[in-house]
Amino acid sequence: MKIKKTRSDRNMNRLSVTTIITVTAIMIAGCASNPAPSEQLAVSKAAVTNASRNGGNEYAPLELKSAMEKMDDAERAMDEEDYPLAKRLAEEAQVDAKLAEIKTDLARVQKSVEESQESNRVLLEEIKRTTQ
Amino acid sequence: MRNKLILPTIIVGGTALVACSMQPEKNSMLEDAHSGYSLAQSNSDVTNLAAVELQEAGKALDKADDAQKKREDSEVVDHLAYLAKQRVAIAEQTANLKVAEVAVEDTNTVRDKVRLQLRTAEADASRQKIATAQETARINANDLATANASAELSRQNLAAQSAEADKQALMAKESSEQSAVELAAANARVSAMETELKDLNAKKTARGLVITLGDVLFDINKADLRPKGNVSIQKLADFFHEYPERKVLIEGFTDSTGSDNYNQDLSDHRANTVRDTLIHMGINGTRIITRGYGKEYPVASNLTTAGRQLNRRVEIVLSDEDGNITPR
Repeated sequence: MKIKKTRSDRNMNRLSVTTIITVTAIMIAGCASNPAPSEQLAVSKAAVTNASRNGGNEYAPLELKSAMEKMDDAERAMDEEDYPLAKRLAEEAQVDAKLAEIKTDLARVQKSVEESQESNRVLLEEIKRTTQ
Repeated sequence: MRNKLILPTIIVGGTALVACSMQPEKNSMLEDAHSGYSLAQSNSDVTNLAAVELQEAGKALDKADDAQKKREDSEVVDHLAYLAKQRVAIAEQTANLKVAEVAVEDTNTVRDKVRLQLRTAEADASRQKIATAQETARINANDLATANASAELSRQNLAAQSAEADKQALMAKESSEQSAVELAAANARVSAMETELKDLNAKKTARGLVITLGDVLFDINKADLRPKGNVSIQKLADFFHEYPERKVLIEGFTDSTGSDNYNQDLSDHRANTVRDTLIHMGINGTRIITRGYGKEYPVASNLTTAGRQLNRRVEIVLSDEDGNITPR
């Protein structure tokens, strides 16, 4: 942006500098009270990725979907610099992902229990046959 | 107008302020979180197995309550209540997960036990099978031994029978050999007898063997034997010595010359002469019968000299081996 050095320009320039300083000061102040929740987003993102990789899609599809959507919304809020919203969404995505992961683990373990019980039943049948 | 409006405005605003200060606005999300948390607290699995997670849920709920108390934006309260609610869910699911993990341990323990049982059962079954097989083998061996014994017995019986058969065959052979020897001896005797009879000019007739002593052995009209006749009689006596079972019929005949009485007497005499000669030579008289037939039974014509000579004769009929003689 070219700035022509005229009188009025100088006046404008003075105004602009004041404005920029003011805005920057406000932003810094804003940032101090509402900093961008980058760390929370990173933690949440990791949790969601983890839940997704763990097989959450199969065993806890609702929770995983909720987590992913909230993560997307959080990222959008970050882009829009609505940091409080971004932080809230990221926090919710994190607990959703955590719940999805635990539900997935639970489903796996329960499945394994069922398989073991079935295998035990088969073994018992075999014993019955053998001892007959 | 303005004054008229001031009072109601103050009343309404005051009422609203009072209401706000007396009853903070209810948040349904927060209520849900509270009831969920209470439920989780009453669940012993959650309090025992997910104590840390439940504690975190409690802290989250406190935060939400705090925000609600400070009358923060409903967005913020909702958000904190949601976090609390999810923390409660996480605590519950963590408890469930722990229970399930214990169940896995249990089923694994059961599985190990069952596998051990199976191995034991299989081993037992194998032992049983082996025992059965051994028993079967033992029974088979017994059966085989019995069969062998039976076969041996049969073999012995067979051998005994075979030996007996051999013995009998040998006896039969010996017997047949003896028979053959006897037969040969008998044949020899018969053949010897036949030779001797041939010397005596014996002839086979329907009545048996007949020896004819011709007229030449006697003088005409005499009953005495000539010396040549004695020789013939001696041969006959030898024959009777040798075959003591034989008897003899001596028949006398004449030609038709002369009277019948004379001829009868002459034929009787001549037959008796032969008998006496045989007795004299040692032959028992009971074996000898005599008959005189006179001029009867001529063997040639009495018209010629030669014929008459043939008719003057003594015929000696030999009995069979049993002493029978067929008379005329």
